[in-house]
Amino acid sequence: MGKLNTAIYEGMTTVTLSVHANDVEQLFREHNRALIAFLQCRLNSHSDAQEVAQEAYLRVLTMSNREEVDSLRSYLFTIAGNLAIDRLRKRKVRSDFAAVQSQEEPATEALPDHHAMAVEQVAGLRRALRELPPKASQAFVLHVIEGRDFGTVAQTMKLSERMVRYHVANALAHCRAWVDEKEKP
Amino acid sequence: MAKIDPRKQDEILHAAADWWVKLREPDTEGEAVEQWLAWATEDERHLETFERMNELAGRLGSLDAVSRQGLINAFTRPAAPPRRWLPLAVAASIAVVALSGTYIVWRNGVSSVGSQVYASAVAQNKDITLPDGTQVALGAASTLTTHFSHGQRRVELSQGEAFFQVIHDNSRPFVVAAGNVSVRDIGTAFDVRRTGERVTIAVTQGRVQIADTHPSPGQEPRGTLEVSAGQLVSYDPNSSGMTIGSITSEQATGWRDDRLDFIDEPLSVVVANLNRYSVRQLHIADADLGKLTYTGSVRTDAIDSWLSALPQVFPLRVSTGGNEVILSDAAYPSHR
Repeated sequence: MGKLNTAIYEGMTTVTLSVHANDVEQLFREHNRALIAFLQCRLNSHSDAQEVAQEAYLRVLTMSNREEVDSLRSYLFTIAGNLAIDRLRKRKVRSDFAAVQSQEEPATEALPDHHAMAVEQVAGLRRALRELPPKASQAFVLHVIEGRDFGTVAQTMKLSERMVRYHVANALAHCRAWVDEKEKP
Repeated sequence: MAKIDPRKQDEILHAAADWWVKLREPDTEGEAVEQWLAWATEDERHLETFERMNELAGRLGSLDAVSRQGLINAFTRPAAPPRRWLPLAVAASIAVVALSGTYIVWRNGVSSVGSQVYASAVAQNKDITLPDGTQVALGAASTLTTHFSHGQRRVELSQGEAFFQVIHDNSRPFVVAAGNVSVRDIGTAFDVRRTGERVTIAVTQGRVQIADTHPSPGQEPRGTLEVSAGQLVSYDPNSSGMTIGSITSEQATGWRDDRLDFIDEPLSVVVANLNRYSVRQLHIADADLGKLTYTGSVRTDAIDSWLSALPQVFPLRVSTGGNEVILSDAAYPSHR
């Protein structure tokens, strides 16, 4: 009797688990591309985005409070968002450390070919940025190239964060259109 | 095939950019992310355009350090673009330089007073300790002359590049003269690169005072400019103007590790500096090529590989003849 109960119980668990796994699989099929895009926007790195996404799926697969969660999708994106914040924090610690280290050993520089590419890109980008209002190009360079967050940019430029976001979005759309135009086959 | 409506495309582009900046914020979560997801799944062009924002930002985030610095200098300092000398003349330092000829008591042989010439060969850097203890790293093919008196230490850089770590002495200012520019230390380490009459000064520690010692006829003497660590000043002899930018100390002294870094320098200046490190001299055949602006690093022990990459960047041809390399305009037939 006790043996049978256990078997039933085990069977139920397996069924529940596989239903859950199916849900997660469906989530992956339908939203993985959006999840990667979301994470890449946060982390500015495709490989980091993929790693964090994998960890997020794993967390969702092994969650113990399935019944408390309404939307598995928003749960997945919330977990992924939090993991991205952790990763950015670790990266900050690492780069502070690297900054201390690099005073002792010079950074390795890239190959000449890499520079050649960069110079070409940069020349084009400059032309595109010059077409923008100075505040837009300044906000864009401070945020996207120098890597400062919106709050810091707002302080530097004595603008509200909302205005900084507005300028960065404008410049981003402009530069994207410019690059597309240039790279048209 | 469906025709793409340019207005619709532009609308999506801007919506994608707006979402991109919104999602960058770590505190964008919950409802806002749901709204983004709704937008992203509504039309496949939406997510695709958003991904292209990521792609561009990723590309720009991975630029090499020198290119990054060039862009930062060009766009984030609107208050400091090409700028004339400050009108408030601190004429003192100009006067000191002008009078120094009569000041100097020539007493060769006395340890810290006197005159001495230091020169280095092509492709050879040289480390020197001056009689006052100041450390100088002299770049290749560079010449430095010291004129030390009891009241002043004056050093003339007649060609090339040198990095100074100055032993500061209030009673005996240390002044480097490079063409029309003089640099006076205020407790400092700094690099001076002279290419003909073009001079760049990169401060890696402390501060320096820079003065134009050669006011044009009819113009009143201009004042001095004080710059501090991390700043780069370029003197352009054509406009007698100064441009202020920023530079890291690794970039400023890269040449000591066989690497020359250039930020927005004309190709002619790049070539003149590489020639200090190259036994095989480079020549620019067409003057217009020399005006092209270059930003990037060049390894002084791998100038050939830089040369082979150059035609990808500039419309030029590289040809080798005897002991020289000719850079000529790709649009014209070969010069030889």
